[in-house]
Amino acid sequence: MKSKKKSPNNGKKTMWLLKKEVKSVLRSRWLLFGFMISPLFAWLFQGVFLNFLFATAIEPEHVYITNEDGIDNSTSTWGDYLYNSIQAQFEYEKGIDDEYKWLNYRNLTTVSSNEGMALWDNRTAAVWILIPANFTEIFENRTGFQNVTTLTIYVNLGSFRASAAYERTKSFTQYLMRATDLWIQQVSPPAAEASYGHQLAIFLVMITSVMAPSPYISKSFAGEREQHTLEALLVVPLSRLRILGAKLVAGLLLTMIYSVFTVVGILLYNLLVLVRGSGSVGGQIGFYSVEPTTIPLIFFCQFLILLCAIGIGVVISTTAKDQATAESINNLVLLVPTMVIGILGFAGSISQVSGLFGLFVFLIPFSHAIMFLNGVLSPAPDVFLLTINVIYMLAFTIVFLVIGAKAFEREAIIA
Amino acid sequence: MQGDVVIRTEGLTKIFEEGKKHEVTALNNVSLDIRRGEVFGLLGPNGAGKTTLIRILVGLLSPTKGKASVLDLDVVEDIDEIRNRVALLPQEAGIYERLTARENLVYYGGMYGIPVDVLNERADNLLDIVGLREKEDYQVKGFSGGMKRKVLVARALIIEPEIIFMDEPTTGVDTIGARIVRNLLKKLSAERDQTIILTTHDLNEVSELCHRVGILYEGDLVAIGKPSELEEKYKAANLEEVFTGLVTGEGVYSE
Repeated sequence: MKSKKKSPNNGKKTMWLLKKEVKSVLRSRWLLFGFMISPLFAWLFQGVFLNFLFATAIEPEHVYITNEDGIDNSTSTWGDYLYNSIQAQFEYEKGIDDEYKWLNYRNLTTVSSNEGMALWDNRTAAVWILIPANFTEIFENRTGFQNVTTLTIYVNLGSFRASAAYERTKSFTQYLMRATDLWIQQVSPPAAEASYGHQLAIFLVMITSVMAPSPYISKSFAGEREQHTLEALLVVPLSRLRILGAKLVAGLLLTMIYSVFTVVGILLYNLLVLVRGSGSVGGQIGFYSVEPTTIPLIFFCQFLILLCAIGIGVVISTTAKDQATAESINNLVLLVPTMVIGILGFAGSISQVSGLFGLFVFLIPFSHAIMFLNGVLSPAPDVFLLTINVIYMLAFTIVFLVIGAKAFEREAIIA
Repeated sequence: MQGDVVIRTEGLTKIFEEGKKHEVTALNNVSLDIRRGEVFGLLGPNGAGKTTLIRILVGLLSPTKGKASVLDLDVVEDIDEIRNRVALLPQEAGIYERLTARENLVYYGGMYGIPVDVLNERADNLLDIVGLREKEDYQVKGFSGGMKRKVLVARALIIEPEIIFMDEPTTGVDTIGARIVRNLLKKLSAERDQTIILTTHDLNEVSELCHRVGILYEGDLVAIGKPSELEEKYKAANLEEVFTGLVTGEGVYSE
């Protein structure tokens, strides 16, 4: 229905409605409690879970070793020294208590370079120490302290035991050769674009954020229709777009509570990783934790996700008959694709998925949140691609809000 | 007591799902006038079109055909202005249960741009009138059905509307609660000369409160007039006989 004469003080009335919306939800204690506890729980659970995994890091690991240094001559080399020292230490540790062990290997197997590479490729070897052929040559040709030799250690960082074994090997070999003389080249399997901590941040932020607005949005539209409060609201002298706008802004403000508690959750998670991880995988703490300087980016990314989720939620909620239906459809529509791309993110780059499935993944707005955060956290961010990600999410939100605004039509709601 | 025409409908028709398989004519060519200060009752069985008529008059639905004006303003063209001057008490509860009784009143009034101090003053007065002053700071979720209705009536009045539309104001309210609401409406009519349009199934309520009634049946306005005029016209002992006869075809009906 078109309105030709505008009511005065529309801005004031809209603010009034916004205030009421916020006040009404602030009184929904369980909803608020959910907003606070759910990000905290998600992050603390991960922190505790990692603590459990860190605890497994003290278990011994099967380590493979290859010495290629001096393989073609009979003279003793620095590689031999390193190799023999590791072997001797391993043998020595067989007869002592665990608490006194330095290397703490479950087994130490000598393999050829080809065998080692094959074991690494098929992921049988979680830790493979490779003393390269030019190990002594580089070491003895050093000038001053600038040239140091390099030991290569292949390590699967996805395994806490392997990470811990790597850390122990690193400290032992650097003790033997002097830390300044031995550069450890760490080789890890290609996996996710970002570190474990950041993948976790992306996954958790996304999965919890897409669900966060659902209770409020469902309550605010489908719930109000069910309670018949929407009818009284729609007869006030405010355009439906202003009513919709006030509800959206209230939703966004309320979900910001969620974002704040997400940041608290991340900091608590980091603390847990730092406290328990420093003893076993100390050198890899950065891999498992969330870099604090990236928190503003995570916050921004979460804002984009919340916007998209609100846009989708409004369309669902304005067309659903009641609150329960709206929430069920919301859960189905939002959770399933989010789970798919969240898990894909852990397995590798979602931008590498191709074909029809790749198109499906690309169309999901939350994929762009992952790509955005991955891109920002990468060493060489592509500003153009990052902009595309943000534009896509904003455009997606606008399209859904326009559809929602069309669905939020007095007659359609009331009839 | 009653003055100029404040509501006028001419050939008002509302068809839902027009042209579709489940097309329903909710209102069919309804023409009526309601005057200022009148308490006008809309009678009719479920699905007769009472609520549809009220919803068109407050701009929640648009007419398919015909014209309607409220306070000399067109319900399609000037709906924002109409909304500023009328109040609706919906059929279902329609109350914010997490807000207190006072907050429900003040919040609603605020959306009409009325200053807070004026709203608080009016709320004091209205809460006294409906007898909820002592419960004003309680969340409405703990109120009985009757108390909620009283809050809704007070809420409708806080904007000092020129016309109040009440869709079955006593439905679902216990006998005492219904009596309180009826007394309140009588008081409003007597003391404030308030124009009230109410729909109801309760014929006693209509006899007690309404100056005139309109009987709707399957979208048609089948009768309109004062209760006594209708009884005389249809040679019926009371309004119930008029209503039953018009709706079911039983009884005596001669013009």
